[in-house]
Amino acid sequence: MTDINITEITVIISAVLIFFSIVFGIIRLVIGPDAVDRVVAVDLLTIVTIALIALLAHQAERFIYLDVALVYGLLSFLGVLAVARYLEKGI
Amino acid sequence: MSIPVLTLLTAVLCAGILIGGLLAVMLDNIVSAVISAGLSSLFASVVYVVLAAPDVAMTEASIGSGLTTMIFLYAIRKTQGNNNTGKNDVAGKKQ
Repeated sequence: MTDINITEITVIISAVLIFFSIVFGIIRLVIGPDAVDRVVAVDLLTIVTIALIALLAHQAERFIYLDVALVYGLLSFLGVLAVARYLEKGI
Repeated sequence: MSIPVLTLLTAVLCAGILIGGLLAVMLDNIVSAVISAGLSSLFASVVYVVLAAPDVAMTEASIGSGLTTMIFLYAIRKTQGNNNTGKNDVAGKKQ
């Protein structure tokens, strides 16, 4: 632990934060009594997942993974928007 | 995967796929079931990224998590008419 640098510390801290965010999001998805709670939980998990993909891209040193995060950000927005339009009796 | 926290994160993602599949089968509210199926596909996409297949992950994210949810909601809207934003609607229940 002597030659650990600041980048590795940052990666570990962000991985722990992403871990707890995913766990609490899954808990809210399981116990959420209504459909709206689950929509918000899935939106939270999508955003946390984008951060996780960016972290994996840094860790594996393959920056093609960031394109996956980009596609994710666009399409998760559209998915949540479709569910919201459905709940408003639209679509 | 040199840091063991990332291995633990992968295990949590696989557990999330399992939980999403179970919720998609077991929930009574049909919108929640569709959302849970989308969540299972979302976590599967991240596991594809971990397994070093970013093209499969991109296809899974666009089709499985985005397009399938929208097509399911469109089909529910077309087949069930004007009901269920509510709390206790069972999938096969008559109006």
